[in-house]
Parts: sequence; structure tokens; C-alpha cells
Amino acid sequence: MFEIKRGDGGILYLSGRLDASQVEAAEKVLATTSGLTVADLSALDYISSAGIGLLLKTLKRLADSGGQLKIVNATPRVKAVFHYAGLDTLLPLE
Amino acid sequence: MEQRFPRDIKALDSIFQFVAACLAATGIETDQAFTVDLIIEELFTNLVKYGRGGVQPISIELAQDGGNLVIRITDFDGEPFDLTKVPAVDVTRPLAERSPGGLGIHFVRQLADELRYEHAGGASTITAVKRLE
Repeated sequence: MFEIKRGDGGILYLSGRLDASQVEAAEKVLATTSGLTVADLSALDYISSAGIGLLLKTLKRLADSGGQLKIVNATPRVKAVFHYAGLDTLLPLE
Repeated sequence: MEQRFPRDIKALDSIFQFVAACLAATGIETDQAFTVDLIIEELFTNLVKYGRGGVQPISIELAQDGGNLVIRITDFDGEPFDLTKVPAVDVTRPLAERSPGGLGIHFVRQLADELRYEHAGGASTITAVKRLE
């Protein structure tokens, strides 16, 4: 199960498993972001290339308009996937 | 253990349940599940997206061979596509030069210790071997 919710201060909370079957649901929310967007991944248990591709697409769109995507509280396993994709060098990952 | 799944991204939930059952049955540490799920999702979705002409369900088989987990995925009627020949993705390029797709096979290469492809009798079989630590 995957969920994406907007919390206080506009922080996005992603939880569960962001696999290829859940990307469409995630994109509906991520496509509405602008400016500095913070995504809290503390409860995200799993991410595949489909989810990483969506975050990269979001990062590029935000960066094109002077914004940024910042990832916080990712678990070590999820961080490892960011590393495989080279995303850890393209965005703040705390 | 082997099971066949429809050529549909929506089959992923069933696939992950199958993987969990296989790992439990073989006594493999559950902390391997993340890696195994990721390898299988990338290979399966690649076949669903690019295995043109295929209509038959896709077979996924997991077996323990000594200290290795052998993942075998068979597409019985999709067009042959040797994913081991796909050029490497350069993940060090700057953001402006990156595109969102094409990372699936790259991930499999990062995660699997061996990756093989064979096409015989009209079927394509991808074998990924993961060393169990």
C-alpha cells in the first residue's frame, strides 16, 4: 500500500511502497508542487526505478522554475536506491 | 517455487506476496526481500512495457542454490530482447542531462551478482543470481 499526504508547512509524507503500480497516484500530488518542496520518506518502505523516475521528473520540473526538491528522513535502503540512481548528488538528501 | 503472473503492472502486489512466501519457505533472511523485490519488479515491468507481442502470463521462479538465490523470469511469447546488451546508464550526468526513465536495468545490474539472458523455443528467460550474505 502506498500513500502520499500533504502535512503542516506543505511537507509531503510518502509512506508504504512506491512501485510502478503506484506512480500514477503519486504523480497526481507531486505534479501540483512548486517552489521548495520537502518530501519526508521516513515511512516509505520501498521504492523502485518507477518511483525514482517520478522524483527525478519532479526535481527537474521544480528546478526549471527555480524551485527545489528536498528529501528528508529516508531509510538507509531507500537512500541506497537514490544512490544507485545518482540522485543523491542531484538533490538534498537528509 | 514458480508462479505465473498476468502481463500487467497491477500484478506487482501478487508478485511481492509470492516473493515473501518463497523467501519464508526457503528460510532466507527477510532483509533480502527489498533487493529481491526490486530486481523482480524491474525485470517484470520491463517485460510488460517492452515485451511487444506477448500475451501469455510471465513466469517467475525463485530457487536457492547453495549460497545463491536464483531468480528466473520467463516470457513465453514476447519479442526477444537481450537486456544484458543495453548500454550502461551514466548516473553521474548533471540534472539538465538526466531523463527520468531507463534506470530499471541499471538497478538490476547494481543489485544482481549475475545476469543472463537466453532465447530458446520462442521463450526469453532472464536469470538473475543474488548471492546471499
